[in-house]
Amino acid sequence: MPSHPLRVAVVCSSNQNRSMEAHNILSKRGFEVRSFGTGSHVKLPGPAPDKPNVYDFKTTYEQMYNDLVRKDKELYTQNGILHMLDRNKRIKSKPERFQSCKDNFDLVITCEERVYDQVLEDLNSREQETMQPVHVINVDIQDNHEEATLGAFLICELCQCIQHTDDMENEIDELLQEFEDKSSRAFLHTVCFY
Amino acid sequence: MRPEHVRNSICFQVVDLLNQAALIPTDAKLAVLKQVQELIINKDPSLLDNFLDEMIAFQTDKSIEVRKFVIGFIEEACKRDNELLLRLIANLNMLLKDDSVNVVKKAILTLTQMYKVTLQVTKAVSDMQEACWEMVTQMKGDVLALLDSENDGVRTHAIKFTESLIVTLSPRVVDSDVPKRQESDITLDKVPKDHTYIRYDVLCEEGKSALDKLLKFMVHPAISSINLTTALGSLATIARQRPMFMSKVVQAYETLHANLPPTLAKSQVSSVRKNLKLHLVAVLKHPSSLEFQGQISTLLLDLGMPQSEITRSTPPPREHRKRPR
Repeated sequence: MPSHPLRVAVVCSSNQNRSMEAHNILSKRGFEVRSFGTGSHVKLPGPAPDKPNVYDFKTTYEQMYNDLVRKDKELYTQNGILHMLDRNKRIKSKPERFQSCKDNFDLVITCEERVYDQVLEDLNSREQETMQPVHVINVDIQDNHEEATLGAFLICELCQCIQHTDDMENEIDELLQEFEDKSSRAFLHTVCFY
Repeated sequence: MRPEHVRNSICFQVVDLLNQAALIPTDAKLAVLKQVQELIINKDPSLLDNFLDEMIAFQTDKSIEVRKFVIGFIEEACKRDNELLLRLIANLNMLLKDDSVNVVKKAILTLTQMYKVTLQVTKAVSDMQEACWEMVTQMKGDVLALLDSENDGVRTHAIKFTESLIVTLSPRVVDSDVPKRQESDITLDKVPKDHTYIRYDVLCEEGKSALDKLLKFMVHPAISSINLTTALGSLATIARQRPMFMSKVVQAYETLHANLPPTLAKSQVSSVRKNLKLHLVAVLKHPSSLEFQGQISTLLLDLGMPQSEITRSTPPPREHRKRPR
């Protein structure tokens, strides 16, 4: 076991679906977890693919919820968005942007390659201070409810395995290889430094 | 200076906390020791000297977390009062040889900061300081040797130490990137050339040989994916902060690109290539990349970056600098 509980961040684009699903499960399993988005704005599906609902990161889940109820309660109930926002506001008040958070983590898990790239770009653009390592792993998850649930369980299993290693940094490479074989997925993995 | 009675009361508080700390389990002990650290480093640093030995005594505690805490305390204490380094370096040296890799890793991180501080404070000469410098020099050698450690994480930390060492032991030049936090850090150009025991030319050679060591480390056929990634990033930092080494760095990137270690799994190859791309762009963006732009662009094209994007990251050729007359 590592000497302190793993500090985990899960990151997707809008900090609504994939990262929040994982946040929910990980915190229930006792992890010290936070979740983030890397997008410039928070986007939620709208009445048509080219008409998303766009908010800034200052908008609370509650405000988004009320906004969508006002716009079309039936549509957003049917597509599950209201349900998701309702879940989210029980976890925290509003989405957070990864690039604005200056806290340190041991492990950052991203939910798609573009997000992984943005996290790497951000971490590498920061000035190095303590040289404390942070491992970044990408687990591709499609942005829909079902995949988010499956992805969250996979992330949780991964975190549990990492948490239970005697020496995370020495074992993580091998562990990820085993996980790739088991789940038939490929994970991108790198280390950055604070 | 605080009034005597306030100082006394803080003093009592510290004594009380230290007494408690001796008898309680790890988590509570850490909380108590953190309080003591706050009191004697931030609240009333004049007490630091009084309680230094009591705090350092916890370096033999059974708990890894407590020993790691002591390393953090050493770092904070030395930052508060650089002279304390003369007394505490031997303790850090002991912790660098700890049985737990987590303690060793923390000690490497602290030595990375402390090496610069020692170079800074040992400018004024005394026997004690010379002994301290000798010990730090020996510790530097020990950490460089840890590039061959059996433990992946220890090696990663040793790479970061080496990166910082190379930057410290080489001169800052006009084009050097200087991160804001490191502006006041000592670098080779600030080391006096006539110092009695700190030899400018020796240090300069040590810096170069550390770079050679890192480059050699990188071409090991069985290097782990994480060590490779770490080294790639270190080389980009070195190239940007010490452009005189850029040619060696670009060459190392080329060699790596042509000969990726056969031991890497498929997804690790993707991760390494992605990292290589990221760091090549960082080097390309530097004004000193001019004579390497051809090589770097070829590599980036090979790695799948569109020409338009490469062009966007290439700095425009600069105007000829006016030569000072």
